[in-house]
Amino acid sequence: MTGALERVLGAFLADPAEPRYGYDLMKAARLPSGTLYPLLARLERDKLVASAWETPQQEGQRPRKYYQLTAEGIRNARLELAHASARRQRAPARPGHPAPGSLG
Amino acid sequence: MRGERQLLRVGEYLVGRACQQLPPDTREERYREWAAELPAILHDAQVRPAPRRAVRMLGYAADTLRGTIMTPGMARGHIPRLFAAVDRYFPVIGLVVVAVDVWGVVQAPGNGLDYLQLAWSLLFVAYLIRKRVRPAGRVTALLGIGAILVLVAIGLWSAAQAPGDWVNDFLAALLLLPLLIGLPLAWWLRRLGARGRHAAPSGL
Repeated sequence: MTGALERVLGAFLADPAEPRYGYDLMKAARLPSGTLYPLLARLERDKLVASAWETPQQEGQRPRKYYQLTAEGIRNARLELAHASARRQRAPARPGHPAPGSLG
Repeated sequence: MRGERQLLRVGEYLVGRACQQLPPDTREERYREWAAELPAILHDAQVRPAPRRAVRMLGYAADTLRGTIMTPGMARGHIPRLFAAVDRYFPVIGLVVVAVDVWGVVQAPGNGLDYLQLAWSLLFVAYLIRKRVRPAGRVTALLGIGAILVLVAIGLWSAAQAPGDWVNDFLAALLLLPLLIGLPLAWWLRRLGARGRHAAPSGL
């Protein structure tokens, strides 16, 4: 799993029930549009994310497309993020950069 | 914000250009989705000052072009079309090179280098025909690339030997130009493709 995907999934999982639009996800995941949208397209293709158009509140307002993790997406995202976190914890600290709290 | 409408128009133009790369069935929807974010970025109260929002909006719009290239299953756009155009141009080059080499052999039948050049250019044309009929395997591709490189080397050497000979200069330029354009383009496309694959969810 790439760092970009990890950040997108993390942003979704912050509140899985809340639909998110592209710019909102860009800010939350700190990713540019050229990275985020291909990721969303892949997640949607794999049926891990579902999308829906909003109903415009005012006349002339352009509707936005909202994305939300599917039930399978939530399950997989939690699993993948847990794996990624476990991998990071298992990785030995680099020499010259001791883990926090390991000294003294 | 002053000039907001013009800025939005520039953003929409950039998004529109990016969406031109997409297949017709997804183009309209993607345009609607991406263009709808432009005013939201421009009015984002969390980002200050206003010029920063403008830069952010234009950056977003410009980066959608990268998004269209990286998105799976999307039609490959201008750059691959340019690459395909260069590829289409190769058979014409091959035929011109063969014609010039035959002409060179007829003009100076005793010159061994002309025969060698003709043999290599025929190999180059054979490679192009083989590539058209069936996708070239690794050995065929290496042979073809080898033939092209030898042709380029011979062409450059001939041009250096007789600096005033426009035929040699023309041949060298004809062989060198597509290589200078095609190789960096092929490298860049390969890199983009690899990045696109690495960005794919793993198991997700």
